Amino acid sequence: MAEVLRPQMMGARVSRVEDPRLLSGQARFLDDIQVPGMLEVAFVRSPHAAAKIVAIDADAARRLPGVYAVITHQECPIVLWNQESYKVGQPALADGDVAYVGQPVVAVIAENRYIAEDAAELVRVEYQTLTPVWDMRDAIHEKPRRVHEQAENVFFQKSRQTPGFDEAFAAAPHHLKASFRTNRQTAVTMEPRGTAAMLDAASGRLTVYASTQSPHRMREDICTLLDIPEHLVRVIVPEVGGGFGMKATCYPEDVVVAHAAVKYRKPVKWISDRLESLESDVHARDDIHDVEVAFDDDGKIIAIKDHLMADGGAYPAYPWSGAEGETGLAARVLTGPYDIPYLATEIDCTYSNKTPLGAYRGVWGPIASFIQEGLVDRVARHLKLDPADVRRRNMIRKEQFPYRNAARMIYDEGSYLESMEEALKLIGYEDFRHRQAQLRQQGRYVGVGISVFVEPTAMASSEAGEVGYESCTIRIEPSGRVTAALGLGPSGQGHETTMAQILSDQLGVPLEDIVVLHGDTDSAPYGGGTGGSRSGPIGGGAALVAGRQMREKLIKYAAHLLEASEDDIELGDGKAWVTGVPDRSLTIRTIAQTAYLDVSKIPEGMPIGLEVTGRYLPKRPVTFSNGTHIAEVEVDVHTGVVKVTRYAVANDCGRVINPTIVEGQIHGGVAQGIGAAVLEALRYDEDGQLVTTSLLDYLLPESTDVPRIQVQHIETPSDGEGGIKGMAEGSLIAAPAAVACAISDALAPFGGMVDTLPVTPEMVLKMVQNS
Amino acid sequence: MADERVEVVLRVNGRDHRLEVSPRWTLSDVLRHQVGLTGTHVGCEQGVCGACTVLLDGEPVRSCLIFGVQAEGHNVTTVEGITPESGLSPLQEAFRKHHALQCGYCTPGMLLTAQALLDREPNPSEETIREALTGNLCRCTGYQFIVDAVMAARGQGRGA
Ligand code: FES
Ligand code: FES
Repeated sequence: MAEVLRPQMMGARVSRVEDPRLLSGQARFLDDIQVPGMLEVAFVRSPHAAAKIVAIDADAARRLPGVYAVITHQECPIVLWNQESYKVGQPALADGDVAYVGQPVVAVIAENRYIAEDAAELVRVEYQTLTPVWDMRDAIHEKPRRVHEQAENVFFQKSRQTPGFDEAFAAAPHHLKASFRTNRQTAVTMEPRGTAAMLDAASGRLTVYASTQSPHRMREDICTLLDIPEHLVRVIVPEVGGGFGMKATCYPEDVVVAHAAVKYRKPVKWISDRLESLESDVHARDDIHDVEVAFDDDGKIIAIKDHLMADGGAYPAYPWSGAEGETGLAARVLTGPYDIPYLATEIDCTYSNKTPLGAYRGVWGPIASFIQEGLVDRVARHLKLDPADVRRRNMIRKEQFPYRNAARMIYDEGSYLESMEEALKLIGYEDFRHRQAQLRQQGRYVGVGISVFVEPTAMASSEAGEVGYESCTIRIEPSGRVTAALGLGPSGQGHETTMAQILSDQLGVPLEDIVVLHGDTDSAPYGGGTGGSRSGPIGGGAALVAGRQMREKLIKYAAHLLEASEDDIELGDGKAWVTGVPDRSLTIRTIAQTAYLDVSKIPEGMPIGLEVTGRYLPKRPVTFSNGTHIAEVEVDVHTGVVKVTRYAVANDCGRVINPTIVEGQIHGGVAQGIGAAVLEALRYDEDGQLVTTSLLDYLLPESTDVPRIQVQHIETPSDGEGGIKGMAEGSLIAAPAAVACAISDALAPFGGMVDTLPVTPEMVLKMVQNS
Repeated sequence: MADERVEVVLRVNGRDHRLEVSPRWTLSDVLRHQVGLTGTHVGCEQGVCGACTVLLDGEPVRSCLIFGVQAEGHNVTTVEGITPESGLSPLQEAFRKHHALQCGYCTPGMLLTAQALLDREPNPSEETIREALTGNLCRCTGYQFIVDAVMAARGQGRGA
């Protein structure tokens, strides 16, 4: 055959189309948006964890030259309140009281940020402080008081138990108890949050530039809160410098900026600084689990009982609280990849005088994995068994799929045991145990931690909202070039590349002839956006569905114009031809020109033009990715410092669209997991003051903190479109547990086990001294 | 806090810019908002993240920590300045090939820190590269592909 087919793009290591603009400094992030007359906002924030506002005096601020307006709740009486779910909501600007440090109280709008900040300093707010509610266990018992007079502190409660739990638990020969604690962390995107809004004077439409993961959700939230009909609001998401779930929420600042743009008919912008980010971006992972596990002599786990508690902060984030997300799903996937027949869970989520809890990559998972793997290791140590063996004995086996877990979640097929065996090989497990023994003789403490994870992806509802499907519009232009649009909100995942890869295969056009648009509600079809590891499987699925529809059109055209049967048409390399007769061919460009400009030749019954919108709603409510992470650490028992020295991953996310991008996501998640395990904590003092207010106090992993990560792919396709499963969160679900288990393993001679994240040097020293 | 302005001439990427700036504006703000070079990013304004890194006479500095007026009389290089007129530099190409960026927010700072290292030391070891990059935080990549890219760009100079 004369025609050489281009290789399949799906599964290829394609370089990203996004990169040139990002590498040359030409990409446009939120703060790069500047229009004439644009005003900037600075917020006056609460310095107290809990206080009544006695008086606000903004006169001096208003008089400062360059100040345009100073607004309080009186001028902007909007409350971010999802009344269906919660008894309280957060006023966009504080209304009579404040409930956490960093809560926006007054907005100063000025010619530029410098003046706005000067003026903010001139605003005098008189407070009458209240006792802060900051201890989770106390707060659950309404101590020292209620955070909100009109609502109990516990705002979400749920109990669930497998039938027969009590008997099975009681009958088990062994029981262990443990309490697990994860400290507050936050996503820390390198680009802080920001919003800009402006009215189009002619149409009266409001344009909101938002650094968000869900363009349509943001539009809906702005419309609901500002009471503007949807067709009059356009949300544009520029380049987003990281999201990680934290940018899936609509924030008070977004609403104030949009409100001010409408009220003053001026372009208005707000960009967060790092201090504001640390105190006002949603926090995450503030959880305590009181757990009991029951098991037999062989290390087979029979039952787990867990009291899950989470501190949701002062208000539910809008439109929902991350505490609910962290506990609700943890309670359903707590058994992870293991066949544990009985589970009893009880959830209590409480308010406190801290920053609201929202989503951060992995949401429930990093906590649940920490507990699940921590329990397996405790069982192994108690019975003096090898931790890998105990995992083997408990693992869900191939023949059990589709598997229904003790909380009635259905797992589709995965490669659980296989992934662990692969990862053990990668790290050289047998060899490691010898090395470990030798090093211990020399007073050096190394350990490995095994973390086998499951990752529910492409869920019907997620941090991206309740839209379970995604849509893709494809337009082939008269030139034969392709413009596609999706409602996704990428923040570094490379969707312009991966979606184009999928479309390239379907349409038979080269990658460089396809442009993928996203993040503009005027051009993108309605969709859920990016979050909950849904863009690959659901967005990619929509691209496949739409691509197939367009492919059928192209084939019809080609068959008609080439006078051949549709069955004999092949597409590739920007052309259509008759099978076996490559000379009987025409270009996609010719087809497109016919469709738009030579319409008398359009096949009977086909519309003018080449445009389709395809939608994809997965049949399953969830598809599970899986894999195994193994970390090797060395612990310095004199300084308490933990160094992660080696790292191996066997990852199965179904059919891979672009292995390089998948590996990049895994590396990033592992780095965040190392941060979660040994570095990152938002600390409050007893007055409810956040004391970690800069990146010198809230430590992120640096290039020397992250070892080389070996990644191996396994592909167990889903039965959804393209066999694709999601994968963005699995690495951060697994990594903290891997590192925590490795520290416990390294310190085994001292007897203790890690039960709190992050593991600080002080904690290590205590574990060493307690022995 | 008066918003008085002074005139400065800043040499950025080989061109002189006559600007009216407030003495308290940081170099990052002046570059971004007065010179219009928005490739320099601001991630913390606390001198920690390195996103705002530019070169001052070839040495990496944090442009959020110095005032615009202090850069007078020095050669400032931003990411736009290390980008060839067409295409990408060898280091930028290596970043693309090795998938050394995801969201791209830290990338300009990474590139400048890495370029300064390669200018100074054409053949650094992996360890030296990792050490040199410790002041540049990246939340997306886990650093491995960035390190791979810098290693791949060794010995290739700055390109056209
Ligand atoms: S913005 Fe300058 S170091 Fe972070
Ligand atoms: S690529 Fe996103 S912070 Fe580095």
